[in-house]
Amino acid sequence: MTMSYGPLLFLGILLTLASSWVGLVLMPHRQLGSLGQHTDPDTAAIFPAARAGEAQQGAEIYRSLGCVYCHTQQVRPEDYGSDLERGWGRRRTVSRDYIHDRTVMLGTMRTGPDLTNIGERQSDAAWHYRHLYNPQTTSPGSIMPPHAFLFETRAIGPAGRSTNALVLEGAFAPPAGREVVPTRRAVQLVAYLRSLKSSGDLPEAPVKKEEAAR
Amino acid sequence: MPVISFILLGSVVLLPAAALWALRWAASTGQFRCPDKVALLPFDESEPVGVATDQILGNRR
Amino acid sequence: MIHPSQTSKNPTLRALLPGDAGAGSGGDGFRKADLAEIDASCRVPVLFFFLSGLAWLIAGSLLALVASIKLHSPGFLAAWEWLVFSNVRTAHLNTVIYGFASQVSVGVSVWLMCRLCRIPLPAPGLVTVANLFYNLGVTVGVGGILLGDSTAIEWLEMPRYATPILFSSYALIAVWTIVTFRLRAERHLYVSQWYLLAAVLWFPWLYGTAQVMLLLEPVRGVVQAAVNWWFAHNVLGLWFTPIGLASIYYFIPKVIGRPIHSYYLSVLGFWSLALFYNWNGMHHLVGGPLPAWMITISIVASVMMLIPVITVAINHHFTMLGHFGKMRHSPTLRFIVFGAVSYTLASLQGIASALRSVSEVTHFTHHTIAHAHLGMYAFFSMVMFGAMYYILPRITQREWPCNGLISLHFWGVALGIVLYVVPMSLMGFIQGTKLNDPTIRFLDVVQFTLPWLQLRTLAGLLMVAGHVAFVANVGWLLVRMFEPYRKPVVRILTGEAETLAAGK
Repeated sequence: MTMSYGPLLFLGILLTLASSWVGLVLMPHRQLGSLGQHTDPDTAAIFPAARAGEAQQGAEIYRSLGCVYCHTQQVRPEDYGSDLERGWGRRRTVSRDYIHDRTVMLGTMRTGPDLTNIGERQSDAAWHYRHLYNPQTTSPGSIMPPHAFLFETRAIGPAGRSTNALVLEGAFAPPAGREVVPTRRAVQLVAYLRSLKSSGDLPEAPVKKEEAAR
Repeated sequence: MPVISFILLGSVVLLPAAALWALRWAASTGQFRCPDKVALLPFDESEPVGVATDQILGNRR
Repeated sequence: MIHPSQTSKNPTLRALLPGDAGAGSGGDGFRKADLAEIDASCRVPVLFFFLSGLAWLIAGSLLALVASIKLHSPGFLAAWEWLVFSNVRTAHLNTVIYGFASQVSVGVSVWLMCRLCRIPLPAPGLVTVANLFYNLGVTVGVGGILLGDSTAIEWLEMPRYATPILFSSYALIAVWTIVTFRLRAERHLYVSQWYLLAAVLWFPWLYGTAQVMLLLEPVRGVVQAAVNWWFAHNVLGLWFTPIGLASIYYFIPKVIGRPIHSYYLSVLGFWSLALFYNWNGMHHLVGGPLPAWMITISIVASVMMLIPVITVAINHHFTMLGHFGKMRHSPTLRFIVFGAVSYTLASLQGIASALRSVSEVTHFTHHTIAHAHLGMYAFFSMVMFGAMYYILPRITQREWPCNGLISLHFWGVALGIVLYVVPMSLMGFIQGTKLNDPTIRFLDVVQFTLPWLQLRTLAGLLMVAGHVAFVANVGWLLVRMFEPYRKPVVRILTGEAETLAAGK
């Protein structure tokens, strides 16, 4: 006659999960949970810089629209994948790059390209508006969904076309007498996208000399 | 030193200690003796070993 | 007495059992209840979990189809913001994971626990209440996602006003599983009970930690990613996998009428899974901005998963050996064996993708999506379908109305998932190779995926057809519940076919 395994089972169940709870949850929190900014000793520049108001609000739009499901925000190291060769960054990203993010959106899927440094790679706001309104205008063949709902199509006022109206040609142009203007959410989202830059020189992730000179 | 360090240090000592104690206790009370008859638990008098159940397809007369 | 029944010390708990099932018999435990008595006690709560689970399955399948079409035809339904690709994709994941898979798991788990404890379900009304709460949580959560309140944290997208509802339901189910376990009339424990007990204890811990550290008091920086993947990977490994394995360990022996090949191997399988699986999560961050030690430790633990996976595969294979013919006659066995084989394949694929050299290619591609469906669908959902084919006729006391629909279900989803997983795994691998070659334009890689994504929509259509067939059969079965009981045409409930098959 053997004993019931009840208590042993119960202890085993609790102890096994406790081990990784300590190792993979508490331990990283201890190691990385209070990382701060780094001040460059030569230039006194501070990395990573905190995000300005409009861009910070844009991060919430980025979260709410679920951009993370198709776009990563992480640049892999030099000898791993082709992120650097594709020009997605001048160095790999490290833990410190993410300390200001309310929700860290590293992403796990590259249906679209990485956006870690999109603000550096494409700083033209007009391009971003056109691309969001309909990606085919800037990137024919893209499978990104059009985000026309972030824009308002309205009649052109007596004062003429608004300064912020999108320049759209051919099939993408609105009907005559109407114009497409970004809503507040589109403005915030583009401010966020243009703020995405993680290429400051960090001791744990230096930008290579010749790269920096470019 | 932050509280979390105490929790970590404590855990690193206490978890393996608890595990070792549990293993020793379990072994000493015979809980690792594991008879193959336990494998018979899904069966009983109404559905004993050797009788298949759920054979419902392709038998329709 | 070497083993004083723990239950004899609990007169209060014992009072929860109906009728004479609570009365002691001969000092060392309760009377072991009849199978039919146990099945009847589970009827209402288990039906609630199964039926609402299936309703979410249909919703989740339709969302999946829309998402799949949108990925190759981005203009499809593009005008509505609430149907933007990421919303639909996320709503799909959350309806099938929390709405369908988890609910069916709870139904199977409640029934299996009672059967192995040999007692009727104590206070079934309480489990039904947990179900209503649970569905409220899923409805609020998925609604929140479609309205743009997704947290964008993978597997934890439901907004923080929904998750506490789900958490309390999980907690109630965990407590109730322990109560059932403590009241058991059969002192010895079968391996399925270990897995079930572990799953119901592990999940609230995972879900609670994730809610506190990611939604209520978000931790700083990439620690979020660590907590996220510790949670998300363990939902698969410590919630779904144990319930799936518990079902396989019960139903294969039960259907073929032969005990599990080696009970020792099942013990080894359980403890090695418990030890290694929960350290696996960081392999989702290979190449990412986290310390190397975290990722390395998860890769090592992933490779160690070879032990439980091979152990379980050998054990199941040798149990089935010589009995594969029974799959022709048993829908349960068909689905369960399909699931068991997929478990081995999914695990091996997962272990391979955790390696740095493989992950470099497959990490950010559709290979991962294929892998997720191999695990959650080809393994887990198929096992749950099999379990439902066994449980539903027994708790409703009605036979399956239509064998044709059973075949349609099996072949629809089996062909569908093969047509999904095989091409998508291959495509992901090629996609990753192309992404790693900087001379290939990104948009060209996108164009390369298009025909494969269209093929996926086709595979999805097959699976949806299978689901509709299953739901139709279940609906028909329910209609029969309200008809006066007729002597079954054949089989499950009369045992005619059993003798027939056994005599072979």
